[in-house]
Amino acid sequence: MVRLRRGLAVLLVISACGGTSVDIADIAVLPVASTTDIESLLASSQQPVVMNVWASWCIPCRSEAPLLAQAHASFRDDIRFVGIDVRDSQDNARGFLAEFDLDIFEHYFDGNGVIPGAFGGRGVPLTFFFREGGELSYLHFGVIDERTLAVHLDELTR
Amino acid sequence: MEFSLLGAALLGVAAVYGVIYWEAARGNAADCSKDLWDVSLGAATAGLVVGRLAAMIIAGTNPLTEPGDILIVRSGVDTGWAAVGALVALAVISRRETVLVAGGLAAAALAGLGAWEAGCLVRDTCHGTVTDLPWGISLGGSEITRHPVGIYTALLFFVAALAVMWLKRRTQNPLMVGGVTLAAAGSVRLVTEPMRSALGGRPTLWYLTAVFLGVGVVVVAQYRQRVEP
Repeated sequence: MVRLRRGLAVLLVISACGGTSVDIADIAVLPVASTTDIESLLASSQQPVVMNVWASWCIPCRSEAPLLAQAHASFRDDIRFVGIDVRDSQDNARGFLAEFDLDIFEHYFDGNGVIPGAFGGRGVPLTFFFREGGELSYLHFGVIDERTLAVHLDELTR
Repeated sequence: MEFSLLGAALLGVAAVYGVIYWEAARGNAADCSKDLWDVSLGAATAGLVVGRLAAMIIAGTNPLTEPGDILIVRSGVDTGWAAVGALVALAVISRRETVLVAGGLAAAALAGLGAWEAGCLVRDTCHGTVTDLPWGISLGGSEITRHPVGIYTALLFFVAALAVMWLKRRTQNPLMVGGVTLAAAGSVRLVTEPMRSALGGRPTLWYLTAVFLGVGVVVVAQYRQRVEP
């Protein structure tokens, strides 16, 4: 019985951790983008661009979202962060952004999921690192870890 | 799917297995009733789970509402909490033989950490901060050279593992061996951490704690050796 109580206490503490901090109503509808829109965004950007491909239904994307928010906080002055939401619904996408406070950078909606393929990516999540002018520096397939993200962000700023 | 992380983990596990049995074959095994291989697997698994849960909670993700995230180990494992989890699991599994088991596993643990770090060659993640040193390595398509910090760390762990093997044969004092191992692991991390790229806070405090705790254990072990010869 004592063990059960202790277990429940631990579960209560853990369940109190995390949670949504932004109201979904505060998140704007994501603008729909095409491959051409993103190509012109990359070509005209005055800064290197990190483009993360995500979806609200993608469990690994949920897992790396806090890391991207941290990366944005550290590099927002030097690097432009762009999110591409693929094969998703607007409501779920806005819920995802609210849950992870990820509305701190720009996101585009790609309902058919064609944009990543145009840049050589497949699957979700993906993280593209583009130099100024839109030249691809590195493409990471799958969940990205802190060290890899930090090295490639550092590479873009040099 | 991308299996390079699994490859690095397997290298670490293989190194632990190899060192345990190599030491046993050379008569350098711990004088305890526990199977060191079983204990090491249990402690490593517990450390991985605790470290992953800690990383999730620190990042603001609730493990109860997002249980699937626990499996996404690549997203991060908190080093400090993982070490605490592994050490607590080792103590729980080995019970009254904790010191003997810790001493017996010391060299294998350091070799395992070294092999895990060497796994950066499989994962292509050895790159650290920028350097002009001639042995610097570059990311694909880049001219910027960086410290091969994963290799530095692996080599230092292997050297520490050899030193601990030598110490085990000389002292026959598992408490001292455990303390030296803890201090060595913390020191290797502490020395190499500034050469790693990081986004936010570094686990320097954890590494310093390991060094001081290890030195403290060594002092206690020496004192006990004098008092109880």
